[in-house]
Amino acid sequence: MSQSDEILRKRIADLLANGLETQTEPFPETEKEFARILDQLRELPPDDLEGKLVISGFVDHPYGEDQQRCLECMYYLVHRKWCDLPELAVPVEAEWWCRLWRI
Amino acid sequence: MANVLWLQGGACSGNTMSFLNAEEPSACDLVTDFGMNILWHPSLGMELGDNLQQMLRDCVSGKIKLDIFVFEGTVVNAPNGTGEWNRFAGRPMKEWVRELADAADFVVAIGDCATWGGIPATAPNPTDSQGLQFLKRDHGGYLGKDFRAKSGLPVINIPGCPAHPDWVTQILVAVATGRAGDLSLDEFQRPKTFFQSFTQTGCTRNMHFAYKVSATEFGQRKGCLFYDLGCRGPMTHSPCNRILWNRVSSKTRAGMPCLGCTEPEFPFFDLAPGTVFKTQTMMGIPKDLPEGVNKKGYIKLTGAAKAAAPAWAEQDIFVV
Repeated sequence: MSQSDEILRKRIADLLANGLETQTEPFPETEKEFARILDQLRELPPDDLEGKLVISGFVDHPYGEDQQRCLECMYYLVHRKWCDLPELAVPVEAEWWCRLWRI
Repeated sequence: MANVLWLQGGACSGNTMSFLNAEEPSACDLVTDFGMNILWHPSLGMELGDNLQQMLRDCVSGKIKLDIFVFEGTVVNAPNGTGEWNRFAGRPMKEWVRELADAADFVVAIGDCATWGGIPATAPNPTDSQGLQFLKRDHGGYLGKDFRAKSGLPVINIPGCPAHPDWVTQILVAVATGRAGDLSLDEFQRPKTFFQSFTQTGCTRNMHFAYKVSATEFGQRKGCLFYDLGCRGPMTHSPCNRILWNRVSSKTRAGMPCLGCTEPEFPFFDLAPGTVFKTQTMMGIPKDLPEGVNKKGYIKLTGAAKAAAPAWAEQDIFVV
């Protein structure tokens, strides 16, 4: 895990802890809605971290009835603690969640 | 000596191209080593015009014994059931197909188009195409579900887009050398020797599949293509990772998702925008799970696999 990942992860954690309001709903029911969120992410400037977090609906805890979390998401790299979805590509924690969650 | 006749209906010639690339055995080996007499083939046949028509008539009448009738491409029925959109040797191709199938000891359908309609039969199916004995999953097709060749066997289906060359030549050798009785066919009349296992069987990405590490872009050497890029390897019956293409590789080994082209539904979702090369999901869970796996089991397995994943599973281990 690199130091820059750690710094960025801490920054994201602080943003979420300080009440950054993100769009957790609606959850993209099918591939089509999922693709629309990806399109929105692609339109953001590459350094717009808050924009990414808001559009993808990041929260710093498990979410929903099934208590979904990054740990089970297929984009999550366990050892790097990293979201490998190209449109996000940010360091994360296993217990976080966003609405681009997929398994 | 086994007489083989190969005709082509609504097709792109892909299976002919594939056949001519066969190596074990090669197309030439069929003639020199296995006693096959290729009566006619669209790319190899010598007869033209009246001579070809006479030869076809002789096959139908029995004057020339037709041991194996191979068909590539769809049976075209348009317009209005006449088949006039695909005329061959002086009449609609579909009429030749019916008569030759009835005259042959064995009928072999090569490729998706001949087996279940393939891409031409995809909605709205403007050519009113059918496979020989299936239309997609529906048993029947042009010859009807009760069709049996003179040998007593139904059409032997060798699907694929295209079919692997060696699947074609090996089945032809089995039939021509009197071992057709050893062939065991599945519910879609595919030889089980090739179509019982999955495309995933032998895939070099199986470790990434097991640890739920996804490939997120084409050509990536790490990661499984099933989770995000629409790979159908775990649900598709084919030996693509056991009998390699060009002896060296396969789609999934090269970082290209399996399209499921040996299954009757191919092309899946009627090629609707956004369905190709993208895993279709419902509430974040793949709509099509690996064969035999239920949703609950899949979710449990994912949690356990992620928790157990070793560090190397997240890295490119195929270092040049």
